Amino acid sequence: MKTTRREIMLFAGGSAVGVLFTPAPWRLLTDTALWSENWPGIPAPARGEIRARYTNCSLCTAGCAVRARCVGDQPVALSGAGGHPLSHGALCAFGLAGHHLPYIPSRVKQGPVKEAAAAVADGIAKCGPAEYVVTLDLRPARTASWTYRRAMAAVKNGRYVTPAVDSSVAVDLSKARTVLSFGVPVLDGWGTPGNAIAARPGFRLIQAEPIESRTASMADQWLRIRPGSEDTLAQGLAGQIAHAAAAEGTGLAEREIAALAAQLEQNGPVLVLGSSRLESTGRTIVSRRETPVPAEWQKAAPVTDLASLPDGSVRVLIIDESAPGEYLPWKAIEKKLVADNPVVVALAWSREGYGRHAQHVLPVGVYPEVAGDIPPAIDSVAATFRLSVPLVPVPEACVKPEEFVAAAAGLPVTDTLRERADAIHKAARGTLFTYADTKSVELKDVKADDFWKALNAGGCWIDAPDDKAPAARLTTAVAELRPVEESDLPLVVVLSHELTPGSPILSKLYQESNLRLGPNCVALHPSCGLEDGAKAVFETLLGKCPVAVTLDAGIPPGLVQVSASPAVLDLCASGARAKVGRA
Amino acid sequence: MISANKQIRAARYGMTIDVDRCNGCGACMVACSVENNVPPAHEGATDRKGLTWIRVYKVDNGEEYPNRRTAFVPVMCQHCGNETPCVHVCPQQAVDVDPSTGVVGEMPQRCLGCRYCMAACPYHARYFNWWDPAWPAGMEKTLNPGVTPRMRGVVEKCNLCHGRWHAAKEQAAAAGKPDTEPVSYVPACVEACPTGAIHFGDLNDASSATAKEAAEPDSFRLLEKLNTQPKIYYRSKKDWVRGIAAAPRPGGAGKENSRG
Repeated sequence: MKTTRREIMLFAGGSAVGVLFTPAPWRLLTDTALWSENWPGIPAPARGEIRARYTNCSLCTAGCAVRARCVGDQPVALSGAGGHPLSHGALCAFGLAGHHLPYIPSRVKQGPVKEAAAAVADGIAKCGPAEYVVTLDLRPARTASWTYRRAMAAVKNGRYVTPAVDSSVAVDLSKARTVLSFGVPVLDGWGTPGNAIAARPGFRLIQAEPIESRTASMADQWLRIRPGSEDTLAQGLAGQIAHAAAAEGTGLAEREIAALAAQLEQNGPVLVLGSSRLESTGRTIVSRRETPVPAEWQKAAPVTDLASLPDGSVRVLIIDESAPGEYLPWKAIEKKLVADNPVVVALAWSREGYGRHAQHVLPVGVYPEVAGDIPPAIDSVAATFRLSVPLVPVPEACVKPEEFVAAAAGLPVTDTLRERADAIHKAARGTLFTYADTKSVELKDVKADDFWKALNAGGCWIDAPDDKAPAARLTTAVAELRPVEESDLPLVVVLSHELTPGSPILSKLYQESNLRLGPNCVALHPSCGLEDGAKAVFETLLGKCPVAVTLDAGIPPGLVQVSASPAVLDLCASGARAKVGRA
Repeated sequence: MISANKQIRAARYGMTIDVDRCNGCGACMVACSVENNVPPAHEGATDRKGLTWIRVYKVDNGEEYPNRRTAFVPVMCQHCGNETPCVHVCPQQAVDVDPSTGVVGEMPQRCLGCRYCMAACPYHARYFNWWDPAWPAGMEKTLNPGVTPRMRGVVEKCNLCHGRWHAAKEQAAAAGKPDTEPVSYVPACVEACPTGAIHFGDLNDASSATAKEAAEPDSFRLLEKLNTQPKIYYRSKKDWVRGIAAAPRPGGAGKENSRG
């Protein structure tokens, strides 16, 4: 039999087709991707003993209790520590990714420490009689804050300046039957998230703001008022102006305002947030005792605000930005500096804040690298003391802000956290709550060393309830919205406090989805004439910055919602006039 | 390995999500990404090309103020229990339904990246790896050792935290519990939800809180008309929220959502 070339070709072709009807090639195909399992570009997670460590989140003053799942000593996941009487096991999106902060690309890793120290020393020496050495503390009432106050008391013309935060007043959500909020994000980052959520079933929430925020969407009633008309509404509710006038100013119906006034009258106690014009009732706002401090610390500079300093008077300014807090616009700070060669040092882990303006930017440790205490949250009726415990080592190049300031003032540096813990222990009141076993014990039953050990293992001292605490007024603890400024610019700014500098994984919330407004983004009504995603310029009376546009039908025409990054806060506040034009 | 003659009591893990309690904070999205080693966004990533195993959509009732209302709806793989579309279309057998848990699993090592499953999924709950997974220098130390990072060119999705399920199985075995019984564990999004809107449990266990909630009259599932029988149940007392369950994608036909 002679085999022809044609038959060989037919056999080969037939075989090839036939094989496709057998499982063999498909099984092989299934496994072809197996090699990529160990693709060299894919990092391999570290292995090791898995254990839990406890700390407190220091990214804001809520100071939520945190359980860190660690491989060896390295935290790989954070979650809320359950059973905590205030944070109730809750942790926000920022806190959940807090262990990424040491590795953020924008981190300040090196800085001219010696040059900065020399410049500060030189500035202090040159400080004239009408000039000041100022430490600006963005998060007052910490133990480090007391070091700053003592240091400034030791320096000639030293001043300790903070944003307008009154840490001696607290809000008691559990006492309120009605909460009237003028734009305060009660359910989205204000106070302690877990506490606000736990107290939520007990009160009726009325949210007055121009844009339906997360809090407004969860509120029992949302009042869409005109931007900047918060005070008009408050005046109407307080009976200082007629309901008709309030309706005209706010854009609400007169009957809505009348019904709201009746509601507030009937459904007390009422807690008012975001406006000091209306009285809160029924001890929903009370004075809070201070966390004890050693007696020798009382020789400290008083707390002052920036506005009280004369313009052109600050010779040396040291800004502690290591603990995020309220951002004061640079324009307000800049005008306080002396005209000739002021010294400005920013102690920061990111250049996105005052690092953009300071002559010297010094690197500092970041959560969860450094030990520090967290002042009580605004919704904590009792004083507290809890530590953010170091979970990973701090880089060698970093400076400790309190040591830097103390050294500049010639104040001897001591273990201030331990000293304060001892002072609390000496006061012998309140309870110690430990996270690992979720137990509370009376502080008087705990030895001083055990108290310190417990604080460093994740623990919280909570002051004894003070039933006689007098009712108080919130004057500065909640930022009030301002009236709309006069200008020809067509849009009114509504700030959105969306994102602090945080983990890159937060991109899930704004870049890879549209859940939150991203940094340097503005949201406008679709009728604005710009396209979604367009590059634009955001302009106010104070300057301009590049932004990306997001279109959102939920933004009323005439408003622009802006993510409140430091660059934006340097240009405007809520209620400012602005323009968004094509780049 | 479970021997063939053992009687395994199959679980049907599922969730109930109370939409009325969700405030759209995004904690579930972050916790999910941390737990499952989902990388941060590539600079070219958008809402269309991003990797979010669970995504919170903002939806509204389409009305004007004062009748306008919004809500937040977390959407992840719905773990279809009937005619699971992605399983049917996968040419690689890279998707399967675990009969012992009811979880729809994805095997990235088998995936060829054809994305048929993405086209087939009626819930838009599958995501394609457009770029090599990359973390900023040093951040790879924070990866969860219980989950292997996936490579570029494969599809990935929620697996109800399979790594946690494995860990729970190991713990149960170490405690001497029979391996034929379902284990109790909690996915990362459930643990992270600060409002307690998400509950997780065995829907086959009628005594579980999740099964009871799923049977409540205000409970519903997305696109029920498709009869895919998802194991993710939503709850809301608002009629208009229940109405959006029939929409092809939360938030309507345009850009899928907006922000507050």
